Amino acid sequence: MKIRTLRLLTREGAANVYKNKLMSAASMVTITTTLFILGLVLLIIVNVITNLEAKKRDLQVKFYLRVETTRLEQEEVAIFIENCRATGVVTAYEYESREQAYENAKKNLQNESLMEGLTPDNFSEGYFVTLANPNDSDQFIAKLKLLSGVNPKWITYPKQELERITGIVRVFNYAAIFVLVVLMVISILLISNTIRLTVFARRKEIEIMKYVGANDWFIRFPFIIEGMIIGLLGALLAYLLTSQAYGWIVDGLNNLFSSIMITNLELMKFDQFAIRILVVNIIFGMTIGVIGSFMSVKKHLDV
Amino acid sequence: MIKFVDTTKIYSNGAVGVKNITLSIEKGEFVFVIGASGSGKSTFLKLIMHEETPTEGEVYVNGYSVHNMPRSEIPYLRRSLGVVFQDFRLLPNKTAYENVAFAMQIVEALPREIRRQVPLALGLVGLSKKAKAYPGQLSGGEQQRVVLARALVNNPAVLIADEPTGNLDPKTSLEIMDLLDEINQRGTTVIVATHEKSIVDAMKKRVIMLDRGELVSDVKRGQYTNED
Ligand SMILES: Nc1ncnc2c1ncn2[C@@H]1O[C@H](COP(=O)(O)OP(=O)(O)O)[C@@H](O)[C@H]1O
Ligand SMILES: [Mg+2]
Repeated sequence: MKIRTLRLLTREGAANVYKNKLMSAASMVTITTTLFILGLVLLIIVNVITNLEAKKRDLQVKFYLRVETTRLEQEEVAIFIENCRATGVVTAYEYESREQAYENAKKNLQNESLMEGLTPDNFSEGYFVTLANPNDSDQFIAKLKLLSGVNPKWITYPKQELERITGIVRVFNYAAIFVLVVLMVISILLISNTIRLTVFARRKEIEIMKYVGANDWFIRFPFIIEGMIIGLLGALLAYLLTSQAYGWIVDGLNNLFSSIMITNLELMKFDQFAIRILVVNIIFGMTIGVIGSFMSVKKHLDV
Repeated sequence: MIKFVDTTKIYSNGAVGVKNITLSIEKGEFVFVIGASGSGKSTFLKLIMHEETPTEGEVYVNGYSVHNMPRSEIPYLRRSLGVVFQDFRLLPNKTAYENVAFAMQIVEALPREIRRQVPLALGLVGLSKKAKAYPGQLSGGEQQRVVLARALVNNPAVLIADEPTGNLDPKTSLEIMDLLDEINQRGTTVIVATHEKSIVDAMKKRVIMLDRGELVSDVKRGQYTNED
């Protein structure tokens, strides 16, 4: 097909959006609704996942040195941890000296007599390490065990907690994909139904075009442009609605949670994923529009 | 030009469309196809434009063989034909001008050519003044003229009309027939299915008569004879 024909048919498709206002509006509402729901569900899921990931990062690896260690062994451990921080494996760590351990024990114990006869030398040094990536914990712990100064029995890590959270995150990830696919399918069905109505209303027109000798692409192309434009408009509208609604939801949740004394809820700002939502909306909206058009014109082309 | 060789069309429900038709129509002829309702006139024309395919036999049109024609070739066959229907079949949301231009756009004519040819075609059918009107704003006769202009604008070798005056009053019918005659004078082969007795009798053209799908007579300067 020649460029000028493509231009002509593109104009034709764009004009049809306007000429068939009612059907265009109906298709657009379908796409907007799906993308709006999709956007909100994804935002909620992203929030849950973000909060869980943050929680995962709070889980610390705690380990203590043997009581009887040499100065060299202590330094070896200190250097190892510093290295880990320099390379980014560890984001932060706290060090507890023997004296601090002694003091902390004294503070925490109800029965002071338990401390009788003990000096800081009876205690051992501890490290409380936050890993950059909690999934590296196994590897990190394996390396700790190679250090002679570390007592392998005194390495603790809330592995079950981590696995539980990882499991939940995975479920939410699958949920996100599931929602995405289901909504996509639903909206393609809805949109192709709507467009089928348009095409049905215009099947006489398609027939006439065929009688005059138009080939399939000549007939299909304007419909596809039409679907694309409607998809794009629907996507933009959905984006605006999502940003508004998300603002209200965040305000509502923050009010609710602060009223019940939970203040560490980390809800993300819409700006943080505005671009991503916009891109996802546009890609999905246009895809839905085009596939919908394609499917519904197909049926009427065999004249 | 157009050739039927022992052509039969039986519809899937068993109805006989046409049966064992053999005839040929030469370039520049004017042919009436007559017969009672249900005698197969429309089927005959639909076989020419490949809206239906024969169950048996062969149809040759402008060098195309209709049997086993690849789908992608159908548009080209149709572009070599101009078609006119009883119910006009104009695109409702295009103006008269745009409807005629459409036929040129699908053959990817140059815009310059379109601007030149469309007014000529509309002029030929006497509709220059209504170029900007939509079909809904035109009378039946005017709509049929737009259809004629659209059918002509690409200079087809053959013009096919299925009861082109079936929805028109007697005076307008005569005007349309007169136009078809004029188009024929300019060299286009014209095939008209009709049961307008008076017009057929008056025009003294070749008359092909069908009865229950069969060819019952084919007369050079015929009349609408032995009907009923
Ligand atoms: N699409 C179709 N399906 C089944 N039967 C048909 C179809 N079109 C026409 N027929 C039948 O074929 C016969 C010829 O019809 P047609 O060619 O339309 O005749 P005419 O145009 O002379 O009235 C009729 O009996 C009609 O009922
Ligand atoms: Mg008929």
